[in-house]
Amino acid sequence: MKFKLNQLVWAFALIFLSISCTESDPDRPLGEYETGILIMNEGAFGSNDGEVYHLNPSTGELKADIFEAANNRPFAGLLEDMVSVDDRLYLVANTGKVEIVNAADFKSLGTVSGGLDQPRSLAVVGSKLFISDYGPYDADFNTPESFIAVVDGLNGGAVKKKIKVSNKPEDLFAFGKYVFVAGSEEGKVEIIDAEKETIFKTLEVPGRPIQFFEMRGDLWLYSIGDNEIFFQSFHLDNFTRKIQTGLPLANATGRIAFGNDDLIYVSSSSGWPDYNDSVTKFSLFESTLVQDYITETGIYGLGYDKRNSNLILAFSNGFQGNGTLKIYNDSLSEVLSISVGRGPSGFMFKD
Amino acid sequence: MSLLLWIGMFFGFQPQSQDTVLLTPVEVYAPTLDRFTQGQKIKSYSKAELNTYQGRSLGDLLQETSPVFIRQYGAGMLASPSFRGTSAGHTSVFWNGIPVNSPSLGQSDLSILPVAAVDQVAIHFGNGGALFGNEAIGGSIHLGTKLSFSEGFQGSFSQQFGSFGQTNSYLKSSFSSEKLSSETRFYRESATNDFHFKDLGQAETPIVRAQNSAVKQMGIVQDLAWNLSKTTQLKASFWYNQADREIQPVMGSNTNDIQSDQSFRMAVDYFHFGKKSILNLKSGLVQDNQLFNQSENNTVQYFLSGDWDSAFTPKWNLKTGLRLNFIQGELSTYQATDQRVESYQSLRFQPDENLKISLNLRQLAYLDQFEPFIPSLGADWDFWKNSNNQLSLKASIAKGIKVPTLNDRFWEPGGNPDLIPEKSQSGEIGLIWQKTGGISWENSLTYYRMTVDNWIIWIPKGNFWTPENIREVQNQGIEYQGQASTELGNWNITANWAYTWSRAISTKGIGETDPAIGKQLPYTPEHQANGRINAGYNGFSTFIGTYFIGERRVTSDGQRTMPSYQFFNLGVSYGNLSLGKIKIPLRFQVNNLFNKDYQVLYLRPMPGRSYQFTLSIQL
Repeated sequence: MKFKLNQLVWAFALIFLSISCTESDPDRPLGEYETGILIMNEGAFGSNDGEVYHLNPSTGELKADIFEAANNRPFAGLLEDMVSVDDRLYLVANTGKVEIVNAADFKSLGTVSGGLDQPRSLAVVGSKLFISDYGPYDADFNTPESFIAVVDGLNGGAVKKKIKVSNKPEDLFAFGKYVFVAGSEEGKVEIIDAEKETIFKTLEVPGRPIQFFEMRGDLWLYSIGDNEIFFQSFHLDNFTRKIQTGLPLANATGRIAFGNDDLIYVSSSSGWPDYNDSVTKFSLFESTLVQDYITETGIYGLGYDKRNSNLILAFSNGFQGNGTLKIYNDSLSEVLSISVGRGPSGFMFKD
Repeated sequence: MSLLLWIGMFFGFQPQSQDTVLLTPVEVYAPTLDRFTQGQKIKSYSKAELNTYQGRSLGDLLQETSPVFIRQYGAGMLASPSFRGTSAGHTSVFWNGIPVNSPSLGQSDLSILPVAAVDQVAIHFGNGGALFGNEAIGGSIHLGTKLSFSEGFQGSFSQQFGSFGQTNSYLKSSFSSEKLSSETRFYRESATNDFHFKDLGQAETPIVRAQNSAVKQMGIVQDLAWNLSKTTQLKASFWYNQADREIQPVMGSNTNDIQSDQSFRMAVDYFHFGKKSILNLKSGLVQDNQLFNQSENNTVQYFLSGDWDSAFTPKWNLKTGLRLNFIQGELSTYQATDQRVESYQSLRFQPDENLKISLNLRQLAYLDQFEPFIPSLGADWDFWKNSNNQLSLKASIAKGIKVPTLNDRFWEPGGNPDLIPEKSQSGEIGLIWQKTGGISWENSLTYYRMTVDNWIIWIPKGNFWTPENIREVQNQGIEYQGQASTELGNWNITANWAYTWSRAISTKGIGETDPAIGKQLPYTPEHQANGRINAGYNGFSTFIGTYFIGERRVTSDGQRTMPSYQFFNLGVSYGNLSLGKIKIPLRFQVNNLFNKDYQVLYLRPMPGRSYQFTLSIQL
């Protein structure tokens, strides 16, 4: 689940523009779901019962199944990612579709359904959607036909092209006319020229790339290895590696959250037989490192609400029923524990 | 003849004198289900009932006519049974006395057990661990084929056409003399299954045709029996079934999965009938090859058993035996073997004609682990009777066990070799009122309680899922059944009805704060009911049947519930049409008469009204 800044450079321009236009642009009241926390509930395999919940953190009010409530039909998919771009929210179901809703009220604007196998994430460049997709499994449960699907139209439509990429692409990040692809299985970052719809450049990176993020004006990539995690930034003029750093951390799960003061939180699990899950807190720029910042069992989602410095953990409860969301304050005291949907895996913090 | 007379005595049918004339044709000996099941409930299906389900699956039969809830993933798709609030893995399925559940999955898919492949169906409710062994916790399903001697040649052919591209063919031929009996049957069932449904997974929820849902299966069943001498009999049954299915995707998905299931089952029995005992040596083979897309999972099970069943006094019966089971699995992610040894003893005491008490014990060992004795104790007591009425009481207590499946223990990644067996204990009490006369009826009411401990569930741990002995569940319920028959003029009227109330509550889950604790298990309806009226007159017969499934929660603690639904079937048949000696019975049936739009499981579409026409030719 990510906010996508279409372009870092353009983002700064946008901020400048928005400031300069404040007086002449009438304030639009925020929609019901443009404040608070959106909770992404993945749903259980075979049930397609993924859904989005909405939490008002100040009142504790929780609204369940907001897609279904807004559209009078179930989401009917396993919710893999939520991507917010301008007024639209893209709900990516790894069961083969993308639902596009109005971010304010969750009313459906369109879908991408045909032509997708196991979509994972999405990026927007101009009026095109780029959707990472594992492709179908083969006999050995490998995914040699992974691709990036291209769709013309911000409200979805048909897949017009599939750009073959390395196995199991995950996160995407749009920068200018380029789309960065986190190729998780083969340790690659593929950069797609969005105009030509071809791979422009491929970079080898350590570990399994999971997620891009922006920090201090740079584009970073979070990757995980068996016993360490990796971060690297990119020169955005020639698309080469800028900084690479790492941290010894075994069994990282790929969940990452960003706190205040550029602090980063990642979760890991000791795996069999003890399954002790923990969150490690650190900074890429300072010597801050707190291993086992918090330890729990069954962490499935990780988030950080910067507005009130709250760490949020989600627990799947084995997918047997509802998941649980727990909110901790800065001193790690539990301030809220609430039952949410099935398989809560991520959050989106709205204004 | 003496052999068969003896069998009659053995079963307790007391002949008035030694010169009782045996009816012909006579049947091959088949150990009956109910000899040591005192205090427990059994439902057996008549041949006429099974006939109306020709062309349909065992899952359909049980769903529409019994308290068992069938979790159907679509028409012709996976159908798994839930007895008394337990899971599919808590039901053992037997065919001619050998267990046929997949050792890797620990369950059977009832949608690929066609009713047409068997002659006998009986279901046993509650813990049957002592009598039947592994997995008989919620209940067990007993399928069988049945042969007769001295009937000469018989043959029949049936062709069935139905909605959604259904085309079924059945061919059966048999020959029997006094010494030898042989029956061969072939069946082929197919359906394009492209029914219309409202697709909730698409914008605007359009009405669409089902995609990737075609099914076909074919099979051959061969039964043989020889009377080797007056006191010995050899019986062999072979069943090959192949099901090729497109797996209909859940709404919102667009998968094109295909699955092929090939099963070969064999049971060979040798019986020696002594003066007061029967010796049975049995060998069996169950081979399952499943290809899901290109992922192959193969298992084979070998069985060898022997038991001795003795009526050493008129009041005491004893059965004792040993069963060996060797399992080989070559699954897509692992290879494994398993071996099991079971010894079992059953004792029945009948102090007088109104009271029967049975005690059953079984000891199971798998790999190097010995499990404690699994006992059951039950009694049937006809405590009051007059010329037209009889009241009976049934009561039993029992234990059951489920050994972790091969997948539970060995699946890569995640299989947990440290799992221990699931265990269950239960008790039930039932009252039966039987009345004969102008209107004959039977009403029975059963109350049961059950606990299942160490219930295995797969949960995500780190980067993969793994099974653990986590859950504990308490089940209780009431099962009411009634049936009546009478004659109205020349019409024969029969009716049956049933209602089930079932509570299955988690008492232990994932941690003390598991929100599922104290709540009903998912997809476990609290209320179920069914009813059926049949009327027959001079070869013509008709029936109307209905069943009701109450609300089910998708998850124990979630908001989402699946609405209840009621379903009606209607059928007519005429059996007196003939051409010379050739009989040509006709049958027409409407399923889902009122075109009810329903889902058994969330987002799994089910078909609306469908028609089925059957033409048979019997020689």
